[in-house]
Amino acid sequence: MSMTVGECLLCGLQEPYKAVLLEARLEQANLLKKVVDAIKDLVQDCNFDCNDSGVALQAMDNSHVALVSMMLKAESFSPFRCDRNIALGINLTSLMKVLRCAQNEDILTLKAEDAPDVVNLVFESSESDRLSEYDIKLMDIDQEHLGIPETEYAATITMPSAEFQRICRDLMALSESVAIEATKDGVKFSCSGDIGNGAVTLRSHTNVDKPDLNVEIALSEPVALTFSLKYLVNFCKASGLSSTVKLCLSNEVPLLVEYGLASNSYLRFYLAPKIGDEE
Amino acid sequence: MGIKQLASIIHEHAPDAIKQGEIKNHFGRKVAIDASMSIYSFLIAVRSEGQQLMNENGETTSHLMGMFYRTLRIVDNGIKPLYVFDGAPPKLKSGELAKRFARKTEATEAHEEAKETGTAEEVEKFSRRTVRVTREHNDECKRLLTLMGVPYIVAPTEAEAQCAVLARAGKVYAAASEDMDTLCFDSPILLRHLTFSEQRKEPILEIHLDRVLAGLAMDRKQFVDLCILLGCDYVDPVPKVGPSTALNLIREHGTLENVVDFIKNDPKGKKFTLPDDWPFEDARDLFFSPDVRAADHPDCDFKWNAPDVEGLVKFLVTEKGFSEDRVRSAATKLTKNLKTSQQARLEGFFKPVQKTEEEVASLKRKNEDKREATKKKQKLEKKEKKEAKSKPRGTA
Repeated sequence: MSMTVGECLLCGLQEPYKAVLLEARLEQANLLKKVVDAIKDLVQDCNFDCNDSGVALQAMDNSHVALVSMMLKAESFSPFRCDRNIALGINLTSLMKVLRCAQNEDILTLKAEDAPDVVNLVFESSESDRLSEYDIKLMDIDQEHLGIPETEYAATITMPSAEFQRICRDLMALSESVAIEATKDGVKFSCSGDIGNGAVTLRSHTNVDKPDLNVEIALSEPVALTFSLKYLVNFCKASGLSSTVKLCLSNEVPLLVEYGLASNSYLRFYLAPKIGDEE
Repeated sequence: MGIKQLASIIHEHAPDAIKQGEIKNHFGRKVAIDASMSIYSFLIAVRSEGQQLMNENGETTSHLMGMFYRTLRIVDNGIKPLYVFDGAPPKLKSGELAKRFARKTEATEAHEEAKETGTAEEVEKFSRRTVRVTREHNDECKRLLTLMGVPYIVAPTEAEAQCAVLARAGKVYAAASEDMDTLCFDSPILLRHLTFSEQRKEPILEIHLDRVLAGLAMDRKQFVDLCILLGCDYVDPVPKVGPSTALNLIREHGTLENVVDFIKNDPKGKKFTLPDDWPFEDARDLFFSPDVRAADHPDCDFKWNAPDVEGLVKFLVTEKGFSEDRVRSAATKLTKNLKTSQQARLEGFFKPVQKTEEEVASLKRKNEDKREATKKKQKLEKKEKKEAKSKPRGTA
């Protein structure tokens, strides 16, 4: 590849560079920080698949019970440029280390060259002229990609993300797993363990002043499923990303927990249910 | 035992066929375990101060100890094991078996001699070599498994072949054996190191046959031919044919028939000599149509039951001198694991997307690059060593 001397748009320094393939500028570093923080305990290494529609990530946890699917649409960035499809294999612990170096309000720019060895992160302070720049070494990750079929879920529950987090944490104290039952009367989270049992029931609820506190239940048929609380509590680390969370359930399919982000971007978690013994 | 050097060939030419992972990654799966191989390894490995474990009456208990606690570990990690015992060995194996018998006899003699004159280390070495799995060992293990509520089946002939049939039919997720010829029997997935002790911290290897074949660019018949040429249990290996020669021969000539033709009519003189009696067609036949129970046979209907706690205590504690506390707490674990609802895996719902041709090609290129790089490195190291040697001493 021919090396050209050009001016770096950001720092104004003269330096040789290879053709920039990806350049994505996020108004707030905080967004990526929170996303990575929410998934780093589920997934160690994963590919960030970048193309002209945005940055996507799909990865399963080691035991293939939960799946993380993130989509940061091109519109979430300004500007966003990606000239060719590229997969950036990144160790999330390393990425988190670097992201901790950014202040929440910093402007973050992700950059990668053609056939890159590293991904470049630039943090610009919104208040001062501080500019910091980090490179993270990329890795080859041979990852299986799963096809997620479009599903018409039997029950879709929208509720405050803090409420969902509280329910999961509270029930975790009693048991390893929670039964989620959605009926026309409401949605019931129940569990039973060695010390006793517990249940939390939510009904549809509209708060005119604070629509974020609404609980909406859309139901086509009753659903009852059991899930591991350990994973749900883990998903709840994403609560800071969005004030509401959407739970989608159908009998005998994985649960979908979705945190919606601005510009139709999202962070989704899928969790395989616990099933009774087939014998 | 197994196929010589196959593991290293796969490692070199089809690295993406092997996945390493922890035992708990396999929870919720059923696995067919080659029992005879496991018992043998327990007899060798489960020891204290170089001696096999024994109860007060001097009866060996290594195999029971291994079977009990390693099975417990597997169950505890949410895996449902079923054991497959060897039946009568196929006729073609008699040569190999005779050799093994001779080796054992020799080792027994050496063991006796070492006891008289050798060091403790030698005694232990030879004592390991004299290990043989007897009918009593097998029967005791079967009795133990029944008490534990773990199913087993006795294969008509080879256990690996039976494991492979069960895995191929989807009755179990994978066959677990240390024996690489399980792959020749067409097991889609082979797990290695599953019955190893936890303390060894060996990762579980998961070998996928389809990726092995893709990596080697062979069909199954060529793969089996390759394994026969590498040296299997049924026919003698060909002298002077190592892993790379075998691979080249099969790649060049396609089938064993052609390889044999080539060796017999090699224009450049006789480089290789085939053993006098080399019935490779029969060996191939054994790999392709082994004598096994079909997966839909009633014998292959497996049930995992609750353990018989009192039975276990009577057998292991009263008869074999195990600690009662440990046996009882193990039995509680067995019961608990049977009862708790199973966590499903995502693969049951979401199917992996086929890799695009572009991705496959780039993966292949990467693997080749890696191989080249290691080769270069090895060459360089060799060269350096040579140079270091050729330098006269004392001048540096």
